Amino acid sequence: MSTLPAPGTSAPPFELAGSDERPLPFPGESSEPATLLLFVKHDCATCSLIAPLVGRLYNTLERHGLRTITVSQSDVAETRGFVERAGLTTPTVFDTDLDVSDRYGFDAVPALVLTRPDGQVVAGFEGWDKADWNALVTQAIATCDAADVDTSALDAASTPLPESRPGCGSRAHDPDIARRLAVKRDSERLAGRRIRIPVADDPFEFLAGEGLTDGLPVVPPTEDRVLRMLKGTSRAATDVVAVVPPNLEPATVEKVAINAVMAGCRPEYLPVVIAALTAACTDTFNLHGVLATTYFVGPMVVVNGPIRQEIGLNCGRNVFGQGSRPNMTIGRALQLIVRNVGGGRPDGIDMSTLGQPGKIGCCIGEDEEASCWDPLHVERGFAPSDSTVTVFAGEAPRAIRDQLSRSARSLATSMGHALESVAHVKLHGMGEVILVVSPEHVRTLERDGFSKADLRARIQEVTARPLRDLVPDAECEKGTVPRGLPPAWLGPDGQPTPDALDRRLPKFNRPEDIIVVVAGGTTGKFSAVVGGWVSGGKSSSAVTRKIEDA
Amino acid sequence: MTDTLHPIVILDPTAELDPIGRRPARRSDTLTGAIGLIDISKPRGDVFLDELERLVSARYPTVDIVRLSKPTFTKPAPADLRAEVAERCKAVIQALAD
Repeated sequence: MSTLPAPGTSAPPFELAGSDERPLPFPGESSEPATLLLFVKHDCATCSLIAPLVGRLYNTLERHGLRTITVSQSDVAETRGFVERAGLTTPTVFDTDLDVSDRYGFDAVPALVLTRPDGQVVAGFEGWDKADWNALVTQAIATCDAADVDTSALDAASTPLPESRPGCGSRAHDPDIARRLAVKRDSERLAGRRIRIPVADDPFEFLAGEGLTDGLPVVPPTEDRVLRMLKGTSRAATDVVAVVPPNLEPATVEKVAINAVMAGCRPEYLPVVIAALTAACTDTFNLHGVLATTYFVGPMVVVNGPIRQEIGLNCGRNVFGQGSRPNMTIGRALQLIVRNVGGGRPDGIDMSTLGQPGKIGCCIGEDEEASCWDPLHVERGFAPSDSTVTVFAGEAPRAIRDQLSRSARSLATSMGHALESVAHVKLHGMGEVILVVSPEHVRTLERDGFSKADLRARIQEVTARPLRDLVPDAECEKGTVPRGLPPAWLGPDGQPTPDALDRRLPKFNRPEDIIVVVAGGTTGKFSAVVGGWVSGGKSSSAVTRKIEDA
Repeated sequence: MTDTLHPIVILDPTAELDPIGRRPARRSDTLTGAIGLIDISKPRGDVFLDELERLVSARYPTVDIVRLSKPTFTKPAPADLRAEVAERCKAVIQALAD
């Protein structure tokens, strides 16, 4: 919508150069009583139609003090032809960046603005309208105090013109230019330090060379991309989302957005990234430890609630795999924030012996619709209509294969056997794992009415073994050590009592340490387990946070 | 348009400040006074430190050994433990085991 300055308001001051590159200021410093601005572009028919008329007005009133400036949206060569055809003798300047056109707010050229010496607008219009023109001429004559001027030639020139004719679109509205101009206006609210990538440098190589990537190319976080990303949240760019380990640096919404751009996120994923960062930067999740450990784990993000559909998050086929943009980029954004804002660099504090491929970023959605149980977030105290993230310090997922079980009990037994191998088969009394149950396995469990509690109880039952079989021995010096056992099982020497050696210890400390999530394709009797980090819950526990803005 | 000839301007994705540089304390070249032995709570860290305590006590009879431990190796030492080290020990030896 046009916002051409109205009569009585101030026209924005500017200084533009003519073809001789000498700057011409508006308002001028002279005492001329009026200035007329004519905005044109060379290929506009309406501009060509009225430019001779404006030239005649200038010729008529110049000696009475009407200063006239033609402001061209076209380049010097294009404008030269236009001016010659129109016989314009006014000074002409070039609005190459279209900043001035943008600030004057007109939709169409030609646009005419008549002002007093201080820049106060007297009259103006855009396009062509004879009545508006006549009113502008009357105002120009009055402002220049030239009531006795002979206007017959001017009247004769306007007579053959149509009553009205629409103008042509201002070049400031060309999509590419409008976007750049919007960035220029909005970028003032971005606080981040600007880094200029030299023209000769490949931006991807530059970013990699500066140590700002995870090894894969990143999207250069330009101002316009970051501004578009910020539209994904209602939070202010300056809000601090979290204090990020290991350097304990504050991450503002803007810094989160910058890294989300780099990771390849779309703006609608930003609330998920913000919530994941909030969850990861808690003492319970212990991101510092997750980063620094020699163990395999990295932050895995599980998303629940309506936002899954809104952003197109994959909860189904190939859920841990490639091919789905939100899945690939949300976890990656979190890891880039940890690296770039928190300073948690893989070549620095990260001491992982082997790592795992999901440390580039891992995000899945729960297929709540394929589940016969309450989804994860409802189990953890949120409303079904809430959208949440759950972060978990996870190993890579590994397969649980059972195409043969037809009863829930048999399948749960299978899962127990598979889960016993997490970390080491002789390690029992462990902390959290995520059990990802596929839709076909869900149906087998559902048919026999197995609840999550039934599934967990059966896993604990089949994995419970006499401690005697689990402690380190000569055959296998690895095993469950006294540290992880209930104090009542230990004698004065700190070793398990003979009675305790006969007691059965299940794989997991508590049944609820088995975090059940439904996901995966509808074909395939496979499930998966994602091992956690260190038994006992002192290290890192899963954290769920509501996604605001969702 | 000539945009492609403009340098690309990006926003800094980092915290824009280097972490505050911490210089390690000067290493002691003698063993005197109170020496802390910190068990970070890894398996068999106590075995290692017991042996170390035996060796230090035999070789440097005037040294006082202070045994300390972190609640968990998975997290940085808590503030009260760091304060205790600063108050009671002239130097510390930390054991990383497994």
